Amino acid sequence: MDGNFISHLLSASLPPGFPFWGLALLAAFLGALCVVGFVSILALVSVWLERKIAGHIQARLGPMRTGGWHGWSQTLADAIKLLTKEDVILRGADPVLFRLAPALVMGSALAMFAVLPFAPGVQFADIDLGVYFLLAVASLTTIGVIMAGWGSNNKWSLYGAMREAAQATSYEIPLALSLIPPILHFGTFSLLSATEQQSGWGGMQWYIFSDAFWVAIPSFFLFFTAALAENKRAPFDLPESESELVAGFHTEYSGLRFAFFFLEEYAAMFAASAVATAYWLGGWNFPGMTFLSTGSLWLPILGALAFLLKAMFLVCVMIWIRWTLPRLRIDQVMTLGWKYLTPLALGIMVAAAGWEAWRASL
Amino acid sequence: MTSSAFSRWWRNLSDGVISTARGMRITLRTFLRKPVTVQYPDEKPDLGGRYRGIHYLEQDLCIYCDACAKACPVDCIEMDATRHGKELEWHAFTLDYNRCMLCELCVYPCPKDCIHQGEEYALVTEDREDMVRDLLTWKGLTEEQKQKVAEVEALKAQRAAGGGE
Ligand code: SF4
Ligand code: SF4
Repeated sequence: MDGNFISHLLSASLPPGFPFWGLALLAAFLGALCVVGFVSILALVSVWLERKIAGHIQARLGPMRTGGWHGWSQTLADAIKLLTKEDVILRGADPVLFRLAPALVMGSALAMFAVLPFAPGVQFADIDLGVYFLLAVASLTTIGVIMAGWGSNNKWSLYGAMREAAQATSYEIPLALSLIPPILHFGTFSLLSATEQQSGWGGMQWYIFSDAFWVAIPSFFLFFTAALAENKRAPFDLPESESELVAGFHTEYSGLRFAFFFLEEYAAMFAASAVATAYWLGGWNFPGMTFLSTGSLWLPILGALAFLLKAMFLVCVMIWIRWTLPRLRIDQVMTLGWKYLTPLALGIMVAAAGWEAWRASL
Repeated sequence: MTSSAFSRWWRNLSDGVISTARGMRITLRTFLRKPVTVQYPDEKPDLGGRYRGIHYLEQDLCIYCDACAKACPVDCIEMDATRHGKELEWHAFTLDYNRCMLCELCVYPCPKDCIHQGEEYALVTEDREDMVRDLLTWKGLTEEQKQKVAEVEALKAQRAAGGGE
């Protein structure tokens, strides 16, 4: 039977004769619960990390009191505060768009997690067009942001939404183009099979270490930069730019709806880092994994650990960049996107295509 | 694209990459440094020995001459005592911190050098009346404070002798 580890688990434990659609529904429900739980914990950890890293980069300590050890539960306290806040909807706001926007943004962020290969055997759905799906779903966030900005009936929100629209459409091109070198190298859109192809050399045959490293490394940096812009992270946080637009598209949101936008940012950061990990940094492969037998239970556990460590490292780099670089102007953002990243991505794509064609002809 | 336009493009790109890398090196260095934060109520900052905080009075030395009260530009020192020959019976020596600006002008004219400004600065009360402090309640320097005073005096002497910076 095709399906993910949850449906395998369920089909093993449920009585025989259980209808297939029931199984599929149950598996989908449990999978969604897993993703929501994972994303919430992820956001709690990353927000805490962001605060600590921001503090230390400015020679401060960051949160230190809540929860005792280095303020570990500060984000938890903030989450509780957000949940108990009044949910304000302005009188002039568009009632449908305003309510729909956070749900759409959050939903698209969660859907990205369906195709991420966390560990051998731990993936919700291995679809052939994995990255394609990811890019498509990620751009739904943009629509959500535009809906939020329009629905808020506030000029700052609308400015933020327009910037997001301009920025996201510009950066989606280098983002997708910079994914082409690894796609050509592995010959697949599926993140799972790309990860599996990097397991050689005792788990170190990552794309950036392969013979195509000279296209892999620049395309990795291009992808990372474009992903920063796509996720509205500093120095590309123009849709929010709190110094000019209050909070941009989510100025008018409060309580749980605001929390959704907040969660989405960290979920999307992790998803982008996870794609970079799966395509360039070897996914769950870690050095020495060949010593473990294929059926070993340690393989998924250590694999998931390796995957999370690599992805979280990239998230930390995103945080590090945010606290280093000042925000760009909108024209600078556009210049960088169209005049620099897009031609570079095209050039690297051509170089990668030539290299792979030459290698295939050998 | 002309060659000069291309070289400008290339220079812009490399400048961007290099300056980003430089900035990230700086933030990384700060990140690895020890933070400067003082966890305030638990730890006290080092005030450097010359801080002009709340006053203290060595009342055994004070001769009730009123010089400090006269010197004060905002009239915040009030004192009252009875003389019994050479002995003094103190009734009150108060300083009104509602008005005091911690300017140290009252410290200099004292002939006995017995009024000082200390390192205590957290003057927080819920009632305005509590800002009028009774300086007679002062019980003398702690050992630690005495040592600090000695250090500062030694430094002053060294500076006066032409040493130091
Ligand atoms: S410090 Fe200045 S204002 Fe305060 S009591 Fe002394 S002379 Fe008056
Ligand atoms: S100037 Fe000095 S000795 Fe005179 S009253 Fe004030 S504290 Fe006492």
